[in-house]
Amino acid sequence: MTAGILLLFGGLIFLSGSALAAFYWSVKDGQLNDLGGAARTIFDDDEPVGSATDKFPSGK
Amino acid sequence: MKPHSLISSFHPANEPDTLASHERAEIDASTRFPVLLFFGSAIFWLLVGSLLGLVSAWKMTHPAMLDQMAWTTFGRLRPAHLNTVIYGWASASGIGVGLWLMARLCRIPLIHSKLLISAAIFWNIGVLVGVLGILAGDSRSIEWLELPGYATPILFIAYACIGVWAIIMFRYRRPGHVYVSQWYLFAAFLWFPWLYATANILLIWEPIQGSAQGAVNWWFAHNVLGLWFTPIGLASAYYMIPKVIGRPIHSYYLSILGFWSLALFYSWNGMHHLIGGPFPAWMISASVVASVMMFIPVVTVAINHHMTMRGHFDALKWSPTLRFTVFGAMSYTLASLQGMTMAIPSLNTLTHFTDYTIGHAHLGLYAFFTMAMFGAMYYIVPRLTGREWASAAAIRWHFWLVATGILLMIGSLFLGGVLEGLAQYDPRVSFKTSLDYVTPFRWLRGISGFLLLAGHLVFTALFALMVLKLGRRKDGPTLFAVPTGGNPGASAV
Repeated sequence: MTAGILLLFGGLIFLSGSALAAFYWSVKDGQLNDLGGAARTIFDDDEPVGSATDKFPSGK
Repeated sequence: MKPHSLISSFHPANEPDTLASHERAEIDASTRFPVLLFFGSAIFWLLVGSLLGLVSAWKMTHPAMLDQMAWTTFGRLRPAHLNTVIYGWASASGIGVGLWLMARLCRIPLIHSKLLISAAIFWNIGVLVGVLGILAGDSRSIEWLELPGYATPILFIAYACIGVWAIIMFRYRRPGHVYVSQWYLFAAFLWFPWLYATANILLIWEPIQGSAQGAVNWWFAHNVLGLWFTPIGLASAYYMIPKVIGRPIHSYYLSILGFWSLALFYSWNGMHHLIGGPFPAWMISASVVASVMMFIPVVTVAINHHMTMRGHFDALKWSPTLRFTVFGAMSYTLASLQGMTMAIPSLNTLTHFTDYTIGHAHLGLYAFFTMAMFGAMYYIVPRLTGREWASAAAIRWHFWLVATGILLMIGSLFLGGVLEGLAQYDPRVSFKTSLDYVTPFRWLRGISGFLLLAGHLVFTALFALMVLKLGRRKDGPTLFAVPTGGNPGASAV
């Protein structure tokens, strides 16, 4: 039982710690520096901003 | 890149054939088998779950129906319905969408697909063993954790494999920005195994004592919604809406704020299920406060999605993906705002223990999550199979059947639930009378189940045609020609 509780508290501290570390990393890494550019990272030369990529199948 | 002559490069029939399109096609193709495996089994469990739900719903108005055999009684069918749709349908479809999105957002072909295939096999065995266990009478009677103790480790292995895979993929991602959808997905893939293990250790394997079990139970059950389904649904919406209409999200700043405030507030919410229960007042109060703080992540997402869509609402006419996804995103806002009000103790007094709560659960898990998953599947499956969906008319039938069905279901449950709550709050009304008020609404809810099941059958047929390669073939590395002039293939809604 005690071992179980220790394991759970360990998990709790690890999870919370990793969330803080992830936030710290995102700031240090410059992930939050260019938010306008970040929103455009899912587009590329082939599917640029302004091109729609889905429609109902043609015919029928 | 294929060489083009100068003239042919200008010819409108030649689609852009760039490095980017080949890379994307290669990444999509690498996810084919694991993603289709998860989708296929999810759809199977969706049908099983719909049927179990339908029978349970009609038992509310016809208690004598199918009461001769133990395994068809309400006490077994209802938890079997819940666990089939949660672990069988919703989790599996979410994992499928998550795997595809992870590969696209990491910008590398999917690696270690054997790990994912074994996860899919373990996961299906876990759900099958667990649901049969519930029907056989081994339910643990802990809401959302009814699966018997011999099934949960199998599921845990599957989830752990996916968590490990997510870490490996993230590590090998191509350098560059980590898009908001990836934050949501990566977090969900890490949070869920932790939630599931903690709840199972404290409730099933080494049960803790007394009412503390209730606290763990609702900490877990609410976090499944908030830290597992919500991040996956939002990750999908944050990718699909901009991609389909070809416009970056309105405010990237708000999307990041939404992610971190969700991570901060959501895990406190569970105790609002226990208002009035035998718990220290501070636990309930902290949870009510956190529930109201959810206003921040919810409204940031709502503003962002609405402002991205603004001026592009006609796209709902020509994109099946967008139609389902936007229906889901709007329901997310409604479900979350409604959930906030339901956490306020004076309102909770009225709605607790009534059908209103059931309506809220279906607004969140069906109108939001399930619709978002349908939308994502309409986008993903053609890119995996290289085929177009067989029939636009069938897609429209699917949409209108499930949209009408779910609106009828939640509408009747909300109205019936409020009447039931008001009647039970009045000491002059007998308990039996309060149930009589709600009976007509339960009939309507039962009817809505048929609409949903019919919609699911249409979708199953569409999916089967794709996987069995009976659909029409499309050429080129990417599907769907880039529409020119904004309104491709405009046709009747």
